Amino acid sequence: MRYAGASVQKRLNYPLPIPFEWYDTTVGTEGRTVMQAYEKLLEDFFRPISRELVPAVRFKRLKERWEAETVFLSSVSEIAMHPAYQQIIGMGTVAVPLILREIAAKPGQWFWALKSITGENPVTPEYRGNVKEMTKVWLKWGKERGIIY
Amino acid sequence: MAQMGKGAWYYILSRQLIENAFPLLNPTNYQVTSPASPDYNCIAWAARVADLWWWPDNQYIYHWPPGAPREETINAFIEAYSLSGYIICDNPDCEKGFEKIAIFVNTHGKPTHAARQLPSGHWTSKLGEQEDIEHAKLDDIAGQYYGTAAVIMKRPNQAFQ
Repeated sequence: MRYAGASVQKRLNYPLPIPFEWYDTTVGTEGRTVMQAYEKLLEDFFRPISRELVPAVRFKRLKERWEAETVFLSSVSEIAMHPAYQQIIGMGTVAVPLILREIAAKPGQWFWALKSITGENPVTPEYRGNVKEMTKVWLKWGKERGIIY
Repeated sequence: MAQMGKGAWYYILSRQLIENAFPLLNPTNYQVTSPASPDYNCIAWAARVADLWWWPDNQYIYHWPPGAPREETINAFIEAYSLSGYIICDNPDCEKGFEKIAIFVNTHGKPTHAARQLPSGHWTSKLGEQEDIEHAKLDDIAGQYYGTAAVIMKRPNQAFQ
């Protein structure tokens, strides 16, 4: 499968250290896997997430990395201990509205982060593990505090 | 490609993601059997539950069968499934009158995944928040994500509830 070097440069918005045509010589799923790893390396080098000052952008980049690397996991502790997830927790209260808006749009395993950042857990025991109900409870919690509308 | 529509494009991407993550899977030995859902995980799905996420987390956020130790150990998982009537058995072969599950562990012996056997002898696995798949053999999903199948359990066939 050809890998479009020009579109990679455009998306990452910085000059690539190797010529476009070298990207276009990869074939097959192995080639794509290698190029994706290389692209991630370049992104980490030229646009490190640690230098990202805008919270919403930092959250988005961390979230995307976390999702990509935990997509097939069932273990909640592995999901929550992922470095990108931990960095989101490290963003503190500024991440709370971002997480709440995220779960409003796409429910997911954000409850550990919400509990860690806020120190609260409005979910009652009968709803443990019920992602739909836990999402509703946290969204209600956020609206009552004016964090989201 | 554009004529195939967004749904077909997502289906292709999804299968590529799955086959990249599980190199032993290929189009001839598995099929996707449900859409992605964050509502349940493989541990719940192996127990025929599709509306709860089961995990013995120490934050007490997720569901874990009452009575089973809330620990991320193989013994706790065996106990959790024992509460649903499963007992340990010694092989993954299809046995008439019984349904089987397999618990996977990583290289540290920590549980990572569970799969349930179908009447055909194939297995069904929920891949995290992603789709359920039906795969021919347990080893098809062994590898870096789930490790290997360590314990097989069985119980008399139950009607799906």
